[in-house]
Amino acid sequence: MIRFENVSFAFAANGTAPVTVLDKVDLTVGEGEFVCVLGPSGCGKTTLLNLAAGFLFPSRGRVLFDDAVVVAPGPERGVVFQEAALFPWLSVLKNVEFGLKRKGLKGSQLKQTAFAYLESLGLGAHAHKLPVALSGGMRQRVAIARVLALEPRVLLMDEPFSALDANSRERLQDELLRLWVTNRRTVIYVTHSVEEAAYLADRVVVMGSTVEGGIFADMAVPLTRPRSRTDDGLLAMKARLRAVLATQPCCIQPLISPRAM
Amino acid sequence: MIFLRPVQRFIAYWKPSVLPLLIVLTIWELAARWVLALRGVAFPTPWTTFVRLGALVGGDTLSGHPLGVHILNSLRRWIMGFSIAATLGIGYGLLAGRLRGVEKATAGIPQLLLLVPGLAWIPVAILLFGIGETATVFMIAIAAVAPVAINVLSGIKTVDIQLVRAARMMGARRHILFFHVLIPAALPSLISGLRIGLGTGWRVLVAAEMVVGTGSGLGYAIIQARWTLDYPASFACIAVICAIGLLVERGLLGPLERRTRSRWILEEGPR
Repeated sequence: MIRFENVSFAFAANGTAPVTVLDKVDLTVGEGEFVCVLGPSGCGKTTLLNLAAGFLFPSRGRVLFDDAVVVAPGPERGVVFQEAALFPWLSVLKNVEFGLKRKGLKGSQLKQTAFAYLESLGLGAHAHKLPVALSGGMRQRVAIARVLALEPRVLLMDEPFSALDANSRERLQDELLRLWVTNRRTVIYVTHSVEEAAYLADRVVVMGSTVEGGIFADMAVPLTRPRSRTDDGLLAMKARLRAVLATQPCCIQPLISPRAM
Repeated sequence: MIFLRPVQRFIAYWKPSVLPLLIVLTIWELAARWVLALRGVAFPTPWTTFVRLGALVGGDTLSGHPLGVHILNSLRRWIMGFSIAATLGIGYGLLAGRLRGVEKATAGIPQLLLLVPGLAWIPVAILLFGIGETATVFMIAIAAVAPVAINVLSGIKTVDIQLVRAARMMGARRHILFFHVLIPAALPSLISGLRIGLGTGWRVLVAAEMVVGTGSGLGYAIIQARWTLDYPASFACIAVICAIGLLVERGLLGPLERRTRSRWILEEGPR
């Protein structure tokens, strides 16, 4: 469904020497798969996601969505950002309506659809509040509702819960799984947390230094769902992921990201 | 005592200004006495100024007009000049923020305008419009337009990239992106620009009235009172100018700016 073919990405920040973030990456994500991209900060995980979203374009190689080259962002590839990235001047409901309006919904249908998605994430009571009045966890819920309302074919999630406290993080992970189990949308989920990857994913793609070529491990998670956080199998999976990560040096790229529309 | 709420809020809002005001008045009083002792010149004290202001408010005329007429004329010119500046500044900022070509072709011009001191426009204003009303309004407009333009443009250019990406991901293109995302996101900067422009305009207005010869207005009154050695009246006009500036700044635009900022910017403080 999403395919990276020999993708390299390099950028130069303000006249400095170009930095290679991704080098000859090949990756295929199939329909309905929940794939976690795991790696230390600065290894290019977010860049990979931005390429799939169409916010950035590869320096070499190509990114395909349903066998068509990705040329722009679009509602079929919904993105949940690390910070909720809600429009602060719009109410929660209007934030969800934003994408629906672009799809041509109007009037009461628009309002009802947006409200239904908010309800599905337990946000019905907050529909008319401004984002500033919500906690970080609730804002991220709104961001998820907003993206689900687009009915995307794939969800691209960039460390969506990493800024939240542990409790909200676990609750939102469970909520995400509940929603995923009901309609099995393809998910590409970027994280630096072994815990998160082992608990959520069908398959974990581990990224490391570009010297090694970007992706250096691609592991299936042999656990049934629903999973328990205290299950032995999960602990074993976490240990395996840790062992793989330990073979790689930590942060190998400068923590700057390319700014492009 | 619900009806006391606004009063309490008013007191709470202006309370921090009391001490600075007392300090200013003290320095002023000391300076007045010092000048009197050293040079034998009757430098108006806060009290004599206050008394003169009372008389002016009570109906005394200055250069043939009551104080109210001077104030109204100044305010009218200010509003006219500032409206022109706001329209042009916002228009330019949005256009340059939308069209790369316009931004490139005009790069640095607002910054250049910002460097020209307001009074340096006097010869230009007089050559263009002669002496009088239009010249004054022109000077206010040209001095206030740059801060507005610069703030609007930079507001558009520095919109959080994640907001733009989110909008594009949801299917927003070109003009939807511009009118429904970039402009609202730039609103706090726009209001800052207006606030700065308003202050700049006010300062230039008073200076312009002193020179361009408008026949009325606070600046004109100050300079005229000097010829008649009515220094307390000059000082009273200066006090009025400060009061009006402070009122508009702290009473109107300051709260408006804070309100949009606190609403727009989500990262403020832990939740």
